[in-house]
Amino acid sequence: MSAPVLDRAQVPPRGPLRPFHFTPVHRRRLANGLTILVAEQRTFPVVTVDLLLDAGGRAEPGERAGVAVMTTTLLESGAGSLDAEEIAERVDGLGLSLDSGVSWDTGQAGFTCLRARLEAGFELLADLIRRPTFPEAEVERVREERLTTIQQRRGTPSSVADEAQSRWIFAPGTAFARPLGGMEWTVEEIHRGEISAFHARRYRAAGATLVAAGDASVDEIVALAERWFGDWEGTGEPSPPAVVRPRLDQTTIVLVDRPGTVQSEIRIGHIGIERTAPDYAAVTVMNAILGGTFTSRLNLNLRERLGYTYGVSSSFASRRQQGTFGMQTAVQTEVTAHSVSEMLRDMREIREAPVTHAELDDARNFLAGVFPLGLQTTDGVAGKLTSIATYGLPDDYYDHYRDQLLAVTADDVLDAAQRRLWPDRAAVVIAGDAQKIRGELEALDVGPVIVADPAELEAE
Amino acid sequence: MQIPIERYELDNGLKVVLSEDHTTPVVALNLWYNVGSRNERPGRTGLAHLFEHMMFQGTVHVPGTGHIAHVERAGGSLNASTWLDRTNYYDTVPSDRLELALWLESDRLGWFVPALTQEKLDNQREVVKNERRQRVDNQPYGDWDERLQMMLYPPDHPYHHAAIGSMEDLDAASLDDVRDFFQTYYAPNNAVLTLCGDFDPAEARRLIEKWFGPIPRGPAIPPIPGRTTLDPLKLGREVRETRGGVPLARVYLAWRIPVYGTQDYYVADVASELLAGGKSARLYRELVRGRRVVQSVTAFVLPVVTGGSALIARGSGAAGDDPEVLERALRDEIRRLATGPVDLAEVERAVTGLEARHMFDLQRVNERADQISQLTTFFDDPGLINTELDRYRAVTAADVQRFAAEYLTDDNLVVLTYVSADAEVAR
Repeated sequence: MSAPVLDRAQVPPRGPLRPFHFTPVHRRRLANGLTILVAEQRTFPVVTVDLLLDAGGRAEPGERAGVAVMTTTLLESGAGSLDAEEIAERVDGLGLSLDSGVSWDTGQAGFTCLRARLEAGFELLADLIRRPTFPEAEVERVREERLTTIQQRRGTPSSVADEAQSRWIFAPGTAFARPLGGMEWTVEEIHRGEISAFHARRYRAAGATLVAAGDASVDEIVALAERWFGDWEGTGEPSPPAVVRPRLDQTTIVLVDRPGTVQSEIRIGHIGIERTAPDYAAVTVMNAILGGTFTSRLNLNLRERLGYTYGVSSSFASRRQQGTFGMQTAVQTEVTAHSVSEMLRDMREIREAPVTHAELDDARNFLAGVFPLGLQTTDGVAGKLTSIATYGLPDDYYDHYRDQLLAVTADDVLDAAQRRLWPDRAAVVIAGDAQKIRGELEALDVGPVIVADPAELEAE
Repeated sequence: MQIPIERYELDNGLKVVLSEDHTTPVVALNLWYNVGSRNERPGRTGLAHLFEHMMFQGTVHVPGTGHIAHVERAGGSLNASTWLDRTNYYDTVPSDRLELALWLESDRLGWFVPALTQEKLDNQREVVKNERRQRVDNQPYGDWDERLQMMLYPPDHPYHHAAIGSMEDLDAASLDDVRDFFQTYYAPNNAVLTLCGDFDPAEARRLIEKWFGPIPRGPAIPPIPGRTTLDPLKLGREVRETRGGVPLARVYLAWRIPVYGTQDYYVADVASELLAGGKSARLYRELVRGRRVVQSVTAFVLPVVTGGSALIARGSGAAGDDPEVLERALRDEIRRLATGPVDLAEVERAVTGLEARHMFDLQRVNERADQISQLTTFFDDPGLINTELDRYRAVTAADVQRFAAEYLTDDNLVVLTYVSADAEVAR
């Protein structure tokens, strides 16, 4: 018997579909006001624990920008009876992957560990969060480390473009215009006293959330939290919202001159949305079609049709308040102006006519399908719990997330594009060889072309 | 934690490994071709990687960028990468779309050549040249691996050049080169296919046979061009280069060491952990936190199998730091591995860190599949994913000390120094 002839031109059929559910989220609260969110994930003997604090970039004064980042960095420099070296030996001896950091909305410290080290991890985390000692010598070292990072970024074209982008999206003097880790002149002025004051004011039980995901039950996590954080105290006012105000009232091309570079780093953007915006799902689908996938309009145009770049993408970075929208790419110098005009054209076109059925279907299915891929790891799941805690999303939000995406219509996408994309008020920031590209950019006639003052990029 | 492994081979020589895990309804499909930049001829550097780009430009039954479009609209993610010894292609899809991914990957192994056009090649050549500009030419320190490879390996060794290739060679690549490369290296008998995740093994076997079975075995794979053995393994001298145009000083030190798979390679990996694996590691403790002569450090070994690998240590300075001071501090501290005592406790910490990270990484089906493909391609032993840690656990403090004395020596050393732009002006 001969096998049936295989028709290779035919897309193979689907196999049996297995449903996907987001792990149930359990919420508890200790008497001291500490909130606990837990999601079990039992395949690997791994647990991720994160403590989230109202100690993000938004909570720091502008003239001391960088204090939030320095505070989390310094938690490992001495805590309780341990000095920096003893902490490091404990972390490495337990095989903890220690992770601390700062976003605009939160400061955070936590770890991923093998299940057997969970209690030891809690013990150490309690010391770091509750009893940091901020030794003077370590403050100096971490300051130098921050200054070095700032100088390194200044010499890296993509970082230069990113930072200039924020400066030209948001009004001068507002928090979101600054780089999250501060500027040279602010970091130089941050002293030990300010760091311990920031810690005393912002690292407290009330308003903090402990998230845990992985191979541990709710009861285990609550018992450990009670034991190591139950007698932690402190209340206070939540940090105030940031002022969110645009800088530009018309599309403006800002050149950051990098003589002799072989590529232009292009960033086109403006103010975006809050994470809780009612049209978040529609905006996400719209962005996927514009520049959120390999087969997006921008990438098929600039990379696959024109060959100008290794890749181009767009994204909305949403915060508790309005964040940013941005399109980003790096192109060879000679095609800078043409790239800008093509990107602006793609941005306008998605506002002018509904996307096709195929585009809509593909984008929705892509987003719904890749969602579980990020949830295979304990830190991926902990990241979702972090979003629930930070933005005040409902506990069952991620149960319904895929349905929300799949329900977006072409009209929703058009509406989102018209409301959330502002091609006439965009900051077009280009880090590149100004002398070579300025003339053609002026000839585009999309708005004024200015060369940024390097000193201003450092200033408040 | 035991990763299940089921290994078999199709009649055409394709090696297959299946590893079930029903935690999440996704499946990772991972293909390693036993070809990389090491197989390129002189004058055609970058061809293996340019070729990898061409594999996304359409086949007879899936024209244009259809492969990517099909995977994205199925709710999957995909990519590929080219390195010295291998090229990997991988798709992670919802489990009901396993057959789609098998169809797509088999079509580019069986029906790629007739769909080639000059226009596609010219477009992807520009994309790759922009990739080089973005990652290497317009990126401070972006050429570090290219420079280290040139100094570590002699001109006739296949690792002498980096996978990205040179602009001139990319310009020179022709459609015939692409076709020849495919016909020489892209055959089922030169590949490993791993499935990891949510599938039924009997059904997976049936589907793999259905889509890959009809592809004929290719001719024998020709030997790697050039000199593939390094004898003696050690360089026999110190080799130096200084470069500029970067924001802050940085020093790379590299020593030639035995290849991945040898016991000394595992010793080297433990040594690199013990030097810079965490903040309790020597270089961080002594030079970053202690003397504050270095801003940040890393150390790592290259998992490569042709002739010789390398242990690489990197130290970055702050503004105004003298690279000579950086270099001396790093070298002195690394020399102490051989001359001073090595504690059992620091070896244990290093192995603990490797074990924990191994477990964290394996949570992702695509990472698991990639590791299984690697172990099968290099050693024909997918089960090593469960047992390789034993080789790390077997490493003793005395092994580290002996290894350091033998390989981390001044006559086996490459030094690559980046001087900051400010310092250049001052000179």
